[in-house]
Amino acid sequence: MKGSKFWLGMTAVVCALALGGCATQVKRMGVEEVKDLSGNWNDTDSRLVSEEMIRDSLSGGWLSRHEQQSNKAPAVIVGSIRNLSHEHINTRTFVADLERAFVNSGRVDVVASKTEREDIRDERADMDLNSAEDTRKEMGKEVGADYMLIGTINSIIDASSGEQIRFYQVDLTLVSMSDNRKVWTGQKKLKKDIKEASFR
Amino acid sequence: MNTNIDPATALQGFATRLRAFSFLLLVLPVAVLSGCATYSASFSRVEDDAAHRNLDSAIKSLDDLNLKGPDELLHHLNKGTLLSLQGNYAESNRHFEEAKREMEHLRAISVTEQAASLMVNDTLKAYEGTPAEQLFVYSYEALNYLQMGNLDDAAVEARQFDVKQGLIAADNKDADYLSGAFVRYLNSMVFEAQGERDDARIEMQKAMQGYKKQDSPFPIPQGLRDDLARIKAGRPAPSEVVMIFHNGLGASVDENNIRVANPSYNPNESKDLMMLSLAVPKFVRRSLPVDHVVLSAGASSATSEVVEDVNDIAEKSFNDRLPAIIARGVARMVAKNVAAKAAKDKVGDNPLFNFVADIATNVSERADTRSWSLLPGNIQMARLPLAPGRYDLTATYYDPYGNVVGTHLFKGVEVRGGRKSFVMDYYFNPPAAPKAPN
Repeated sequence: MKGSKFWLGMTAVVCALALGGCATQVKRMGVEEVKDLSGNWNDTDSRLVSEEMIRDSLSGGWLSRHEQQSNKAPAVIVGSIRNLSHEHINTRTFVADLERAFVNSGRVDVVASKTEREDIRDERADMDLNSAEDTRKEMGKEVGADYMLIGTINSIIDASSGEQIRFYQVDLTLVSMSDNRKVWTGQKKLKKDIKEASFR
Repeated sequence: MNTNIDPATALQGFATRLRAFSFLLLVLPVAVLSGCATYSASFSRVEDDAAHRNLDSAIKSLDDLNLKGPDELLHHLNKGTLLSLQGNYAESNRHFEEAKREMEHLRAISVTEQAASLMVNDTLKAYEGTPAEQLFVYSYEALNYLQMGNLDDAAVEARQFDVKQGLIAADNKDADYLSGAFVRYLNSMVFEAQGERDDARIEMQKAMQGYKKQDSPFPIPQGLRDDLARIKAGRPAPSEVVMIFHNGLGASVDENNIRVANPSYNPNESKDLMMLSLAVPKFVRRSLPVDHVVLSAGASSATSEVVEDVNDIAEKSFNDRLPAIIARGVARMVAKNVAAKAAKDKVGDNPLFNFVADIATNVSERADTRSWSLLPGNIQMARLPLAPGRYDLTATYYDPYGNVVGTHLFKGVEVRGGRKSFVMDYYFNPPAAPKAPN
């Protein structure tokens, strides 16, 4: 009797181990929780860049100067953020964070991008034919941007067998559309020491 | 008859037999699983389909091989190649990215794989690609991005290549053939197209040094010399079509059985073998079907030049690795024979066991014939300067005797002012029927 209980217990343990090994495991994480797997650019890097850029851009003198001079909120359009790094980096994540911070601050207007505008213009043209007159939106009333946000991501890698130092520098610049002046530049630097596993 | 058997003696006898059979338990399943076909022989179907431009069929044949576990890298390298030849560039790059991840992962040593390689054969080790193959991945990805018109991502590949080539060169100090000259030549075009003229000039200079160092059996490409002279003079790049041509299937690896003296041979020991039979890989260079390509658009034409002899690099790389492969093979056969002898001694005079043990020892001995054999034999480049516009281009392929062996039409290629448009094609020779190991 004692023996049969032992074998029953062992069978249960083996089954649990076998089934546990087969199932995909998903664990929810906080979006601010840091987990570096490969050492490549990841969500934490993107978040650190957006936090720095939002803080710096909204507290910069360019915004108050524009408000004083024109008495209205500046309109910003996002241009190209060139990836000059060693990785295929999705720049849309921190740019979208920055756009959201601008809009939600109530102090900066953000103009739709080139591809977004094309969709909206198609819709407006469609409205011209199909919408009721009192809800129809006219062509030619778009807001022109005062500034364009452009930028680059650069990286430097120093590597030897088994270890890499990766340095990233993200530079964003607001350029005045009327006279090409750079009215704000933001910068974020990140550095990582990545040691490869010797055994697997 | 009444026989009394001491349980302790019986148990000891059973344990001895179990230990003897453990040798068979380790080696026999591998011998059975190894089967008769080597990797390169089983891959010839994929090569044959690709050579006949049945790329859908080639991809299916590749999928049917079910390359995973230690062969997973080969799946991604070959699938990426076939998808690129098919024009499915984004999906091709997904496989090349997987291949790069796998190669990074495999840089770490697996103790179990090393032990299996020393006890059974080298095919049990995960295939991590030769250094030369690891460098070519970057050119494939960059070319895919260029054909998608995505310069920024092609430049990311160029920068990654620079880091990787530096690491590989540091790890293989005497291997001048790993200069990555062709990839640097290609990368210089990417950087210049991106407006990074300093980076482009540096890549051109490194490509020139690489070609000189790697002692290739072809002259340094004139196109590269002209580019370097032009960029040093501060002149802008002309608008042109750059055709990359993959010529012939790259080298294959066959299995070859050789006999070497048993270093642990004891003449006083009757069961010791004086000679050991060893399965080692044999480099097989395949013929190049095309001598040169003429790329034409109306009255304008350009002749290709060789920009990389992949066969030559593969052969030098193979010859560098062969001594270590043979040394490991000898150590393995000595270990197998010692284990087989010990097992035979424990079992006693059992002819059937001895026969099975000998079979298991020899059949489990297989050469590692794995390689990224869809790499071309050589790579050629034709550069056709054209005024901005849209063109139908014809590529004509000539054999060494001046006969036309094929043509390819690129329809509606757009050429923009001061820009390069990249096109790519291939011509593979159907592989010869696989030979039985000799």
